Amino acid sequence: MAKKEEKKDYVKSGKRLDGRKVDELRPIKMEVGVLPNADGSAYIEWGQNKILVGVHGPKEALPKHKQNPYRGLVRYVYRMATFSVPDRKNPKPGRREIEISKVSGEALEHSVFLEKFPNTAIDVFVEVLDSNAGTRVAALTAASLALADAGIPMKDLVCAVGVGKAGGEIILDLNKDEEDAPDAVDIPFAIMPRTEEIVLLQMDGLLSRQEWQKAAKLGMEGCKRVFEMQKEALRKKYGKMEQVSEKK
Amino acid sequence: MDEEQGEAGLQNSEQAVEHKKKQIVVPGELITDERKKLGQHVFIENGKIYSDALGITYPDAGVAYVVPLVGIYLPQSDDLVVGIVERETVKGYMVGINSIYPSYISADKCRDMLSKGGIVSAKVNSVNEINEAELFDVRVFYGGEILSVSPAKVPRIIGKNGSMLAVLKNGTGCNVVVGRNGWAWVKGGDVAKLIDAIKLIEAESHLDNLTVKVEELLKAKKVE
Repeated sequence: MAKKEEKKDYVKSGKRLDGRKVDELRPIKMEVGVLPNADGSAYIEWGQNKILVGVHGPKEALPKHKQNPYRGLVRYVYRMATFSVPDRKNPKPGRREIEISKVSGEALEHSVFLEKFPNTAIDVFVEVLDSNAGTRVAALTAASLALADAGIPMKDLVCAVGVGKAGGEIILDLNKDEEDAPDAVDIPFAIMPRTEEIVLLQMDGLLSRQEWQKAAKLGMEGCKRVFEMQKEALRKKYGKMEQVSEKK
Repeated sequence: MDEEQGEAGLQNSEQAVEHKKKQIVVPGELITDERKKLGQHVFIENGKIYSDALGITYPDAGVAYVVPLVGIYLPQSDDLVVGIVERETVKGYMVGINSIYPSYISADKCRDMLSKGGIVSAKVNSVNEINEAELFDVRVFYGGEILSVSPAKVPRIIGKNGSMLAVLKNGTGCNVVVGRNGWAWVKGGDVAKLIDAIKLIEAESHLDNLTVKVEELLKAKKVE
């Protein structure tokens, strides 16, 4: 006989299971220019998530019938390593990975000046090395950094964060325990911070109108905090210069 | 040949010397909300000027522009490029120039026949709307090797009026032709030393007093 699951308190006196506040992100570390053979690359550690992104291109789009003479393509490939989850994952690209590749690629397309590169394709390869909920937002954040590192002209960076509900509370950046809550709602939320345009929004579960408004506000704030970290990561590569100009 | 390279390098480095105040910008970052002329790597939206690349901007300059720190090479008219002959067509040659597409040289514009794998330098005659280039003014190189550098750093490697290139040539004794596309043809001299110097330029291209640093590096190596 299976034991009846104990009811967990997902938010207890303002603190969550892992001790975070309701609107607190997991610790995030970003680095750009980590792969010497890619045109642009980025590595992100977002809580337990560890993700590598490489960008190649723009290059001629092949097969030729995929080419668009008016704009370039973004080919986003999201893959999870076999060892990225507790049980071995089948390396065959599954339904979930194909879907994430599609929506994330479309999110990035909004930020790139693709009309400057007709008939070309920009390849973005995302490899999830370790996962603990929220990999698609972490991957999208890192992919945007890698595009900037490749020197591809962009309107804006794309920054993303997960928001959702666990134990009846709206919380920012859910981890795996919170995502497995019986009433869990998970919303990957990606914006272009300058214009606050939403470029990716998905949801499973149900929210009331008030809850959604609260979640959207929380997500917007979270994204902007991620954006600050992105800017810092890009500048860190050229940090020396700022020291020099401060001396003057 | 050297004079031409000097002119190509002048465009960016001259602007850099004029305005001391520098600022690193990321894509989408506001450069100014004033009305200014638009230079390279900027775009305008609702009357404000934003950067479209990771690069350096000079807020005091009269023209709003960004010098990118990274980037691929897109051919432009009158650029001097170094290329490798990839294949022969009916009336010319396709030459790889480290860009999206190989570019075309008409056989009429070549004095001698080119062979596959040969190294040439040429000027860009015209570029079409999908960034394919047509070349002319071909010069064939015999021997030597090709060094690959970031196309965004080429103006720094050439320097103002070719000053950095002169330092590199004198310090290493190499025969160097730097193409705007990020490929450099090198023959003779101390190539290992040249590679060290170019690596230094690439790593610190956004800093000041680079020529002095490179001179010091080359001198230090001589003693060994």
